[in-house]
Amino acid sequence: MADLQIINVSKSYGAVEVLRDVNLSIASGEFVVFVGPSGCGKSTLLRMISGLEEAPTGEIRLEGKVVNRVDPAKRGVAMVFQSYALYPHMTAFQNMAFSLTMAREPKAVIKEKVGRAAAILRLERLLDRRPGELSGGQKQRVAIGRAIVREPKVFLFDEPLSNLDTELRVQMRAELIQLHAKLGTTMIYVTHDQVEAMTLADKMVVMNGGIIQQHGTPLGLYDDPDNKFVAGFIGSPKMNFIKAKVEAVRTDAITLSDLGGCSRLELPFRNFDADIREVELGVRTEHIDIAQDAGTTDILAAKVAFVEELGDVTFIHTDLPTGERLVVRSSKARHRGSSTECFVKLDPAGVLLFGTNGERIRSA
Amino acid sequence: MTTDVGLIRTAAPGYALDLSIWTVLKWTVAICVAVVAVFPIIWMINVVFAEPGVPVSINPRLLPTSLSAGIAKIDTILSETSYLHAYYISITYSLLTIAGVLLIGSMAAFEFALFEFPGKRPMFVIVMLSLMVPTAVTLIPTYLLTANLGWLNTMQGLVVPGLASAFGLFMLIQFMRTIPREMIEAARLDGASHFQIYRHIALPMSKNALVTLAILIFMQTWGNFIWPLIVAPSPQMYTVGQVVGLFNAPFSHVTVDIVMAANLLAALPPLIFFLLFQRKIVEGIAMSGSKG
Repeated sequence: MADLQIINVSKSYGAVEVLRDVNLSIASGEFVVFVGPSGCGKSTLLRMISGLEEAPTGEIRLEGKVVNRVDPAKRGVAMVFQSYALYPHMTAFQNMAFSLTMAREPKAVIKEKVGRAAAILRLERLLDRRPGELSGGQKQRVAIGRAIVREPKVFLFDEPLSNLDTELRVQMRAELIQLHAKLGTTMIYVTHDQVEAMTLADKMVVMNGGIIQQHGTPLGLYDDPDNKFVAGFIGSPKMNFIKAKVEAVRTDAITLSDLGGCSRLELPFRNFDADIREVELGVRTEHIDIAQDAGTTDILAAKVAFVEELGDVTFIHTDLPTGERLVVRSSKARHRGSSTECFVKLDPAGVLLFGTNGERIRSA
Repeated sequence: MTTDVGLIRTAAPGYALDLSIWTVLKWTVAICVAVVAVFPIIWMINVVFAEPGVPVSINPRLLPTSLSAGIAKIDTILSETSYLHAYYISITYSLLTIAGVLLIGSMAAFEFALFEFPGKRPMFVIVMLSLMVPTAVTLIPTYLLTANLGWLNTMQGLVVPGLASAFGLFMLIQFMRTIPREMIEAARLDGASHFQIYRHIALPMSKNALVTLAILIFMQTWGNFIWPLIVAPSPQMYTVGQVVGLFNAPFSHVTVDIVMAANLLAALPPLIFFLLFQRKIVEGIAMSGSKG
């Protein structure tokens, strides 16, 4: 178990800046997930922690010691790769024992440590098999076993489940959570899949364009995003965004107009900056309801584009007159497929405001 | 006939008898090439395994007639000439060359294929350029160098100049490039040193390429005539090729059947080698040819 600090770390490849001034503190025993779209720098950051990539500026501290110049093998980190990276000519046992063999550990110790890791991962019967004779999930377990055997201070996972099919991914996710509970070691996990990130993380670090956009608990980020990117990235289906004009500002409320063309909305809000004239509303699908009729001004008229009926829940994709797409989650009743026109009502309590620069505008 | 056709159809439904002109033509050409390639060997075997004084050319036949006569001829060669010693020299020469090329080639290929270092590209280009230079051009400079080192008529004189094999290096580089970078990184994280990564990861993973290269080098070294001829002219260092050359010399008083027996003995090791490793050799040639 170890705590990790990343201080002012930047990295460029030529003129391309991959990471910009990254600062992050990871507590001992935490399960941290780096999440973001492809090319956001999350894997580079992980590789810098592992030592496979140099950190030219800034500091990486493990248990208080700067490890920038420490050899990858001596940092006390173990990594599980996306492609498993198992040595194909060795059996599962030899793969897991490789680091111990390199360290010239006595055979009895190797056998004992590999045996213990194999027991945790239920690999005892597969130890004599070569990677070619294992399924995807089993290979991944051997790769994790190889990391466990090293008894690292920090586990690093680089998109380890992306080569598995959906069912196996869900199963492996559960196993990783159990493994973390059992070992209690600090784990850093990289993925582009926000569902994976939400289910695994104690702390979620959302990255984009080489910058940490926000970090915090998964639900904290879901409920209270700092900017439009985080709000849109987390949650499935994505958060809806609707442009609006600020019509009136009072001390504890504002009135927005031109929502979806013509509707108006009264929103409780303290100390709104009166200079802001345009905002963007962020509303999650569960905070929008289908209304019976256009009775009040806060109801938006929309056209149903298509409907996703998933049994327990129905997502109604609608288009506003302004061309904006609004997805409504309906768990109460199934959609009556025939109508193409509908009315939707936003729940003011679930509405977040963003400025035109994408930053969140918070109520004081 | 009808039953036969029926049997063929039921036994192998996937293979319909598609006797198009193209297929016939293909097979005809293939059979012709095979006959041209195999005929000299059959002829050689026929001449050797025949009673002396019964020329094959006058009474052509497909199969050998006398096993004992052939064995007697081989026995004569092995007992009355230094053929066995030449075998020893040739085998040592081949094995040392194989070991050397594999060791040096794999180490160099490991660096070229998996790591970045200053001057990598120009060095690789130079190595590849040496593939373009015909052997005849480098023969005299290499000879002079070897002579200056005092290595004439020595095993190192035979072996060392052939160790830097650009072809071998190229082939191994192509193969090692397919080793995933993550595997090397995993080994680094597992605490393996640079040499240990080479020894425990890159080398075992390149086993197929190494076996193929070993076979190709064996065929090449065994058949190498010109280099042993100039660098090891002493009879003590004669390779099989040179001894066979002596049998075939214009003023040799040996009869044709004895010459053929000597040729057969020289052709035997590569022939056995080929039959044993047929698939690997074909794979190797395909690999080195198509992957460039």
